[in-house]
Amino acid sequence: MTRPSSLLRVAALALLAVFVTAPHLFAFAFEPLTENEAPAIYNQGSLLSLTLSHLVTVFGATLASTAVAVLLGVFVTRPSGLEFLPLSRSLVHIGQTFPPIAVLAIAVPLVGFGAKPTLIALFLYGLLPIFENTLTGLTQVSPLTLEAAKGMGMSPRRRLFEVELPLALPVILAGVRLSVVINLGTATIGSTVAAKGLGEVIIAGLQSNNTAFILQGGLVVALLAVLIHDGLMTVERAAARKLGGFAGVS
Amino acid sequence: MIEIERLTKRYGNSTVVDGVTMRVEEGSIAVVVGTSGAGKSTLLRMINRLIEPTSGRVLIDGQDTMSVPEDELRHRIGYVIQGYGLFPHRTVAENIATVPRLLGWNRKRIADRVEELLDLYQLDPAEFANKYPHELSGGQQQRVGVARALAARPALLLMDEPFGALDPVIRAKAQDDLLAIQRRLGTTIVLVTHDMEEAFHLGDRIAVMDQARLLQYAPPAELLTRPAEAFVERLVGSAERPFRLLSLSTVRDATEPGPASGEPIEASANLREALSRLVWCGRDALPVAGADGAVMGRVSIDGILRFGRPSR
Repeated sequence: MTRPSSLLRVAALALLAVFVTAPHLFAFAFEPLTENEAPAIYNQGSLLSLTLSHLVTVFGATLASTAVAVLLGVFVTRPSGLEFLPLSRSLVHIGQTFPPIAVLAIAVPLVGFGAKPTLIALFLYGLLPIFENTLTGLTQVSPLTLEAAKGMGMSPRRRLFEVELPLALPVILAGVRLSVVINLGTATIGSTVAAKGLGEVIIAGLQSNNTAFILQGGLVVALLAVLIHDGLMTVERAAARKLGGFAGVS
Repeated sequence: MIEIERLTKRYGNSTVVDGVTMRVEEGSIAVVVGTSGAGKSTLLRMINRLIEPTSGRVLIDGQDTMSVPEDELRHRIGYVIQGYGLFPHRTVAENIATVPRLLGWNRKRIADRVEELLDLYQLDPAEFANKYPHELSGGQQQRVGVARALAARPALLLMDEPFGALDPVIRAKAQDDLLAIQRRLGTTIVLVTHDMEEAFHLGDRIAVMDQARLLQYAPPAELLTRPAEAFVERLVGSAERPFRLLSLSTVRDATEPGPASGEPIEASANLREALSRLVWCGRDALPVAGADGAVMGRVSIDGILRFGRPSR
């Protein structure tokens, strides 16, 4: 980690913090983008609370995806679950290929408007990277290491928790990172079904033809994505370092 | 003591190990040799039940291995494989502590044992205990692999090509270290290799396997002088035979009274080394020195050569 890059990080974080807490300070920058004396800064709610609910939605959905994807990944790599591997692969791939907006359309009649349909869409969309990385991580563990673990009398359970999962961790974390970053962007469409989030700002801009709003919403989402990507990358590196190299997939 | 009785493993129609019966005495080293695919590793892995036998049984100190839960059995048997399979996410100390931790030893006892083993293997605990496997050289990884296998003081050690990944210089040192430690701890060892040189160097008895069958199980000298089958004779190498035989006897055995000039040779050296010295320095005889350095006689080319023939 070089000094200039960490400086850049701190600057980006500071910019984000100031922008969501006191957006009016930046009014001068957005005024040229407005027409007919429309407001330059989003005025229909607090940016801070929208950012927080955006994050809560994304992390909630990713947490659920991680739990399900890792459990499924572990199950289909056990001898007893091996025959479910093709089936679960197809299911997870369907979750990825089904467009989130279509999931929303199907989910709203079932669970109503608000955060729920968004959570469902993000949950399904986030499964694939984590599941595939869990499989990769678990199957790349050296057969020699597993043979040694078995030969020393480690039970299957201990082998999983003390050898396989720790060795697969950097790769699994890379999947989680991918999933979070994709969902940070995707979560904006949740605002079409009245989920609280930064999509509101963008949609308000689209409806009133106000470029300043669109840009503000986009900017906050982008900054969040960059910073979170960066933070998770650091965690991954720390996990991979002692394994003798950076094993993460970027 | 290990008794292997009519041990057989079949996969479908192919027989990988065919009715092998052999007995390894307490505190001795049995080396299993043969070409690849002869069933050596399968035989070894049936002893700690990594592979379940199709038929036959293994008794360790009279106890049938099938009567012990498999994990418990493996806690009592050290296991070293080629490439060692060290845990890359754990330090040297944690790797060595694996089996003691499984057995629920307390922290103090584990720490003491780890230190003892690192000392035994000439790895300074202060320097190596907290290193990760990828920070070690091949020779150091090998020593950690053996130390890990010995951690819970198993009476039996199974080794599958344990020196296969080492270069020749380090390999010779590692073999000598293993012999020294085995003599000291009295561990029973079953070792699989395809290197005949290694088999003759380490084995108290050598088992020759070919195409799933055990062809001969005998002390090294007998394998050379009375090979049971043509395959054994080929494997031990007819051209190498006299020299291998010489390497099995020490200078002490061939020492005769009388004077000789030149730099003395140690009584513990083997006759092959002695012959090599004599040829190289162009003498007919050399003085022999005991462990204390005192000259105890001489060793001559004629005296040595008598040990390179079967009938004495």
